[in-house]
Amino acid sequence: MKGKYHIIVQNSRVKFEFDIKRNITIVRGDSATGKTTLVSLIDTYDRLGADSGVELSCARRCLTVNNSNWESILNSVSECIVFIDEENTIIKSDDFARKIKGTNNYYVIITRENLPNLPYSVEEIYGIHTSGKYADMRRTYNSFYQLYSVDEQSMADKAETVIVEDSNSGYDFFKAVAADDINCISAGGKTKIKRTVMDNEGKNLLVIADGAAFGSEMGELFLYMQKHPEVSLYLPESFEWQILKSGLIDGNRIADILQHTEDFLESSEYFSWERFYTKLLISETEGTYLQYSKQKLNDVYLNPNEKEAVLTVADIIRENIT
Amino acid sequence: MLKIVFGDVENSIYHPPTYFDNTYEDEWITDPLSVKMIKDIDKSDVISARAIDSPVLGSISVKELSGGVKTLILMQFDESGKIFNASACGDNCAKWIYEISKHKDLTIALHHIMDFSACEDFSAFIVNSGKQVGSYKEYLDEALRIEER
Repeated sequence: MKGKYHIIVQNSRVKFEFDIKRNITIVRGDSATGKTTLVSLIDTYDRLGADSGVELSCARRCLTVNNSNWESILNSVSECIVFIDEENTIIKSDDFARKIKGTNNYYVIITRENLPNLPYSVEEIYGIHTSGKYADMRRTYNSFYQLYSVDEQSMADKAETVIVEDSNSGYDFFKAVAADDINCISAGGKTKIKRTVMDNEGKNLLVIADGAAFGSEMGELFLYMQKHPEVSLYLPESFEWQILKSGLIDGNRIADILQHTEDFLESSEYFSWERFYTKLLISETEGTYLQYSKQKLNDVYLNPNEKEAVLTVADIIRENIT
Repeated sequence: MLKIVFGDVENSIYHPPTYFDNTYEDEWITDPLSVKMIKDIDKSDVISARAIDSPVLGSISVKELSGGVKTLILMQFDESGKIFNASACGDNCAKWIYEISKHKDLTIALHHIMDFSACEDFSAFIVNSGKQVGSYKEYLDEALRIEER
């Protein structure tokens, strides 16, 4: 399934209005913000339609699944938006991850738990915000808000250590551009970043990770950072996204893809946007001097012009690592 | 005294709101502590043991209370010995969990790191590591080290 979907679901008391544009969206936050009410309304409308008194507007069918029926339902539906409430432990299972990977549905999961087996974006973790009542003073309006702003953070001081999520081309790049007095290390994967950060406690740290799939790690790292202001994050969608955004490759067309990725990416083919950007970059540079390999950085990206173009995308951290 | 177990543990209830719907007693709802918690978390007023006035949903039954406040009420009143999953509660319930633990021994399960930073003089016993923590920072440092979720 491709695209961004605008969803409005309401009854006489509450209205929810929000957009879903990736295959996995997480909704969490304080109690009594309407998460269960939202899922209940969607379930009721899916079962009874307009006769339920619930109004739902969405270009795709919205439905719910639970621990008992998820497999049979997912076997029988296509291009739907599936809502899963928090009592369902299936969301933590490898079976669930394997199953949804091959489907063309979008999933909205209500949970406070981190789900490391699902590659969801930092940008797609939301809380629900009630922003007052309509003029008739009866119906409250509820919208989604991002829990973690991915605006690039600036660091007060230069980084002493840069921790890069992977050990591939992204690591090669940042290790090469980092100043000589900066220790650039690879965490060896997103699930090891927390441990690597804690092992370097007290140092000015800059963590560089792929935001497109870092969602499961964000909650705990965010709590840690609240007590450790010497740690900063840089979360581009991915290193490949950074190269694509640099303008080195076919400016306008690629810029449009980056701006509206949801319209170009088939969710059943790419479990995360990170994988889409990797494939896109590889295909766009194949046979050219910019030919990209995820395993090892093409040295051309360290030539002055190319390096500058890629670094410009990460301008906010340039002074802290070069 | 608050004891925290991270991850799965025997005798725990993963989704306390469902357990609450099938076990609650009327007198739990009208208890002064419950009235306060329902007002704080759900912004609702207890009219009687069977009627709640919600500013959002109107007149509701007890079963339409939020999952977080149902879990809090269980923590306070349930005497089955069950360990309730506090990941059914938002961070806005944290201060009430700690408040309840000041007056009774309370063991909770967690599948995420709950933010207790709003709790003054926070202390708890982390069952996974056997460590007594005497502040939110100590709790956070210990929780981040524990692998179980």
